[in-house]
Amino acid sequence: MAEERRTSDVRMDARRFAALADAYGSALHRWPQAEQAAAALFSETEEGRAVLRRAGRLDTILDRHHVEAPSRTLHGEIVARAATQLRQGRHRHLWWLGFGLAGIGLAGAVAGLALVTVVTPDASSDRYVMDANATSFGDAGPDADTEDL
Amino acid sequence: MGADPDEELVRRISAGDQAAVQAMVARKLPRILALATRMLGDAAEAEDVAQETFVRIWRHASSWRQRGARFDTWIHRVALNLCYDRLRRRREWTADELPKVPDEAPLPDAVPADEGRRVQQALQRIAPRQREAIVLVYYQEMSNIEAAGAMQVSVDALESLLARGRRALQAMLVGDDGDD
Repeated sequence: MAEERRTSDVRMDARRFAALADAYGSALHRWPQAEQAAAALFSETEEGRAVLRRAGRLDTILDRHHVEAPSRTLHGEIVARAATQLRQGRHRHLWWLGFGLAGIGLAGAVAGLALVTVVTPDASSDRYVMDANATSFGDAGPDADTEDL
Repeated sequence: MGADPDEELVRRISAGDQAAVQAMVARKLPRILALATRMLGDAAEAEDVAQETFVRIWRHASSWRQRGARFDTWIHRVALNLCYDRLRRRREWTADELPKVPDEAPLPDAVPADEGRRVQQALQRIAPRQREAIVLVYYQEMSNIEAAGAMQVSVDALESLLARGRRALQAMLVGDDGDD
């Protein structure tokens, strides 16, 4: 979203210089970095100096607005709350981590079950009938070893 | 984007380092308080915003990771959101009393000691998004890229907000619109 012009793309003319002064004021260090060098050159011109002088009038007034430094009380209150909040933040973080790991485990179990269902042959009753006399070596029924006699 | 200068401090805070907590408050509290004071124009409310911002910093320190934005940009966004919550509440209470068009009439001249108060009044009279742009770039000394990132707008949009805001301030504080 926030992309700046590249230094090589910079073309500084009176129009762009005035637009930058309008936006950023008279201090070139606040101007877009890629345009500072070209702007510094233009600021040496009579036109450039006039533009900066005009912008500088507002800057001088804006600089008079100071904010008081934070009180020691405020500083102390913020530090005091840190210990509790950090502990709670870590617990919350660990809880989410545990929740995430449990989710991953559950997803793994579901995926494993699905894989077993797909890969394992279907043991349907019409293809495989377990006979009471059958063993791993074939039929071990009473006539099995007398057949050749 | 280079290394984030605050990243190491955030890591130490998430490990419970009290010295890092002190260092973070010393480093960021003046900036956050200044931002909120200029956005809200009220010192007490600004202190509340600063406190709430740090509560969020402590809460998220253990999970914060640099994803595009720097830590400083992120806390500015947090503080600005808190400021906008308060500005919205104010607007809800005073909606019937607000003028439809911002008043850009010149403010009366002030003795130098009162000049700061006059600037504060002028800042409160411009549109909040213009004020936000000026506070971030002018007072918080953010680069245009960082400010645009914190405001979630393009650099062109930021420049437009800055220019319109400064023109309004120029009219109120200097007494002209910037054109000689």
